[in-house]
Amino acid sequence: MRHLTFPPGTELAFGPQAERLERVSATLADVFRGWGFQSLQLPTFDVHETFREIAGRHYRLTDPEGRELTLRADFTQAAAKALAPLLAASERQLRAWYHGRVFRFESSGHAARVETTQSGVEWLRADGRVFDAALLALADECLVACGITDAQIVVGHAGFVQSVLGDNGRNDPDLAEALDQKNPSRIREVAKRIGIDDPTLLAKLPVLCGGREVLNDARELGVGDEATQALDELNALADSLESLPLTNGLLFDLGEVRRFDYYSGIMFKVYHSASGSELAGGGRYDSLYQSHGLSVPSVGLAFDDVGLAGVAPQRNRADDTTLIDASSPDALAQLVAQRRGGNSATLEGNA
Amino acid sequence: MTYRLAMPTGRMLKQAEPFLAACGIVASEPLSKTRKLKVPSKCGRYEFLLVKPVDAPLYVEQGVADAGIAGRDVLIEQAPDVLEPLDLGFAVCRMVVAGLPQTNGSEDNPLRPLRVATKYPRIASRYLNKKRRASEIFKLSGSVEIGAVLGLADVVVDIVETGTTLRENGLVIHEEIVDCSAHLIYNRGAWYSRLQESRALLEILENGVKNG
Repeated sequence: MRHLTFPPGTELAFGPQAERLERVSATLADVFRGWGFQSLQLPTFDVHETFREIAGRHYRLTDPEGRELTLRADFTQAAAKALAPLLAASERQLRAWYHGRVFRFESSGHAARVETTQSGVEWLRADGRVFDAALLALADECLVACGITDAQIVVGHAGFVQSVLGDNGRNDPDLAEALDQKNPSRIREVAKRIGIDDPTLLAKLPVLCGGREVLNDARELGVGDEATQALDELNALADSLESLPLTNGLLFDLGEVRRFDYYSGIMFKVYHSASGSELAGGGRYDSLYQSHGLSVPSVGLAFDDVGLAGVAPQRNRADDTTLIDASSPDALAQLVAQRRGGNSATLEGNA
Repeated sequence: MTYRLAMPTGRMLKQAEPFLAACGIVASEPLSKTRKLKVPSKCGRYEFLLVKPVDAPLYVEQGVADAGIAGRDVLIEQAPDVLEPLDLGFAVCRMVVAGLPQTNGSEDNPLRPLRVATKYPRIASRYLNKKRRASEIFKLSGSVEIGAVLGLADVVVDIVETGTTLRENGLVIHEEIVDCSAHLIYNRGAWYSRLQESRALLEILENGVKNG
């Protein structure tokens, strides 16, 4: 007898937990459709070049004919490749929503997942600040639709971070990691190593986190033009959202760094006290389509469906399935009659 | 709702407890003497969860604790997904490559991978890979020095505080990898969801570090 197991970090669910996950994904899809997004189905297999920005984290497979393949490691980059021809052929805006699994290598740490289920949107030719605010309103509506009203939507800005990092720091992964960990002593250590003379401002990034007052705090630190422009955008965003307002909490975190470097404007993550990892993330990426020869200002977001299902109020559906004895002579007729009557029914036992 | 702090037991607790007490955060009974696993603070705002030093990052990352204290050695080794906003400045030590004075590889076969005994296999392999040195890592659970003394390994990768244990066993430091000390760590969800309390704790402990 073979005792087979699944590799660590993969997703496996059955029963009530799987039902909750399915319900969360269906709820998100409903909200996306309600906002005018159309379904985009993307292949699970892909080629390495699609994900070259995350080289080293995508899987490498070889098929029996020797073709080098990978598994989808990021929806946004796969969607860009798929939708670029449509965008090149027409000037109109595209709104796409997707759902599926992404696969990224994680070195074996605590409960690191190599496979996650995501639902998200790509809003292409979304030019203007109103789309930034709309993206956050959409994220909030998704959370509320899933029964979550006490999450925190944490907003940062790629332009601000890039400006403060400067030319030396922009491409240093250690500095990005130190910022992501909010570790000022390590930020200073790495800054010194890569030749940043005055890391004072960089080391203050971890504490520039809170309500909209941090935008003024940052301004008072004497940041450059690019960073000031980013702060203006965040202020305008805060104004737009205050007039709505959002149901879930809104925080600004100017030390926020994303793990993908295609973000060019606002960026956000969603956190909840019941989960250590982000429930959603997204932002603006105006330069992503340049590698496809196009200028397409865009925003997008993706939810971690499993994380969301873990935090959402547990409303398990009552199992009202009628069980029909399979040994009964008219078992099948009973079952079909129940189903035609719109009832949940199944066969049980041995015939 | 109390703010839950994962506290590492053992040697680090002996320094962490008086440090927190000097910051005004005092447990309702001495943490280093109790056999309880959960102890509230006198002020009632915090609850201490007593866990093994090597497990503290896991409790924080998974949200069982909102924040905690962990050694940088453990943080580098495990790379947990947590925030690390403050170097607490105690439990200072160095991560080193050490061995017998004359042993740092094999003269008999220069191509043989360096045999390394360590409690920190990830740190050891990353360091040696960076140095482009082939290595064979033996993961030990304790008394790592003996691995080099008895010839299980050519060298050990371990933390050193004063160097007394190395000296007493005839070992010397060949290379220094990284300085380590205790860090305050936070669960990401707790940091943002309880930002006011998270920052209040950070501020209290920052002042504690400044006041030495």
